[in-house]
Amino acid sequence: MADLALLAQEAVNVGVPIGKGLVYGLAAIGPGIGIGFLVGKAVEAMARQPEAAGMVRTTMFLGIAFTEALALFGFVLSFIVS
Amino acid sequence: MTGLLAVLSTPPEGFHAPGTEIFQYAGNPELCLIGSGPLCIQKVTLLMLLSAVAISAFFLMAFRAPRLVPRGVQGVAEGLVDIVRRGVVLEVMGPDGLPFLPLLTTLFVFIWVNNSLGIIPLIQFPTTSRMAIPAVLAGLVWLVFNVVGIVKQGGLGYLKNVLFPPGVPAPIYVLVTPIEFVSTFLVRPLTLAVRLGANMIAGHLILTIFAVGCWYLFSHLWTPGADWVAGFGVFSFALLVFMTGFEVLVAFLQAYIFTMLTAVYIAGAMHPEH
Amino acid sequence: MLGAIASIGLLAAEAAEEAAAGPENPILPDLAEMIFGTLAFLIVFGVLARYAFPALNRILAERAARIQGEMERAEAARTEADRVLAEYREQLAGAREEANRIIEEARRTAEQLRRDLQAKAEQEAQATVARAQEEIRAERDRVFDELRAQVADIAVELAGRVVGQALDRAAHERLIEEYIDQVAGSNGSR
Repeated sequence: MADLALLAQEAVNVGVPIGKGLVYGLAAIGPGIGIGFLVGKAVEAMARQPEAAGMVRTTMFLGIAFTEALALFGFVLSFIVS
Repeated sequence: MTGLLAVLSTPPEGFHAPGTEIFQYAGNPELCLIGSGPLCIQKVTLLMLLSAVAISAFFLMAFRAPRLVPRGVQGVAEGLVDIVRRGVVLEVMGPDGLPFLPLLTTLFVFIWVNNSLGIIPLIQFPTTSRMAIPAVLAGLVWLVFNVVGIVKQGGLGYLKNVLFPPGVPAPIYVLVTPIEFVSTFLVRPLTLAVRLGANMIAGHLILTIFAVGCWYLFSHLWTPGADWVAGFGVFSFALLVFMTGFEVLVAFLQAYIFTMLTAVYIAGAMHPEH
Repeated sequence: MLGAIASIGLLAAEAAEEAAAGPENPILPDLAEMIFGTLAFLIVFGVLARYAFPALNRILAERAARIQGEMERAEAARTEADRVLAEYREQLAGAREEANRIIEEARRTAEQLRRDLQAKAEQEAQATVARAQEEIRAERDRVFDELRAQVADIAVELAGRVVGQALDRAAHERLIEEYIDQVAGSNGSR
């Protein structure tokens, strides 16, 4: 009985950091790919039409802000998990 | 099984990796520098106030007796304002946004300086890595762009433009309206604050880890029989230097992005979807 | 078994309690820091909006006015320079034309002079030749006249002598010889 309690204690001790890492790590995959695509396409657009670079950059930042939000939720969640 | 878990959960002997406890400054009466109680001035709040005084002094000095041909401090200050004027206001908002230039410049400089505190030797703590400043500034931005939207488009017009963006087939509004509401009024300030705070927390954590690791490894130099371990400290030190340089960039970039997004949000409130 | 589950639940509750009481969550803002952060931001914003930006805008307006003035002045100076240059070019072209005209005139005058002199010289030469011929002709006429007069005299004298003497062959011959000698002698004496 005492052994089982100890085991549970250890499981919590070990599981929390792993869970935190998983939460943020998984949450970062999608936005990582998304921002990669986004910026890549934006650079492509700027290279094709340098005169539109300002507009593209603004839109790019906006898109990054939206995409990044998901990763940030993961970051916040990793602190909430305990 | 128990033994394995115990081994996994016990930190290695002698070395303790820094965690979120390095951000603990609030709520501990022992850390109060001036005054006492929950509102006493500790390191972080002192740094905030000092940075405000430093920035104010810098700008007062720059424009105390402005000259036609900028020189020295005035040139630097005008360069800073010009980054925001050209790179943010004129690019994102156009000439209409120039009334917001003081606000945006203040945001940019304040965040940049407070980010850079993490790299300045002997201070080495970015005050923006405490959530307070990002939260306050994000709340301020939220307030500003909503007020601007209401003033420019009227309360109902602003709500209608935000929640029911034109050019969408009517049934889709069931989907679009909740998303727009959440993204505009909840996600925007939240991400604005968390993006800045999280970046600075992560940056400071990385620097601390490499600094502590460097110190730990080099301390083996005086351990008989284990002095070869100190050799690995070189790698830790190289990474510390590299990451410090990276943080210089991040400090600027995060300030710039925060200002840029503020400008985008205000511009969006000024000119509804076209 | 139930006991095990209960103990796990108890542990979890304990852990949560520990977390709440222990290190605070770095994702949550601290009230004191928010207050001081707001204060710090407002100080900076106040200084910038109240002092720095009015000064900056004033100096920017002044600079713009100065640059505008400079540009206008430069424009005026350029126009003036263009005008002077055009004038100068015009003058230069005029002077060149004038010089050409003078040279042409000089050349023409010289040519005229040369032709005049040549004509005059030719005329003089002709006049000299004509005078010489005239003189020669006059001399010849005078000689002829003189000769004619003498020949007549001689003829008359000769005829008188012929008539006055016996005419014989020998005498004729001598007479003629004498006459010719006389003539020759008179000729030679002249």
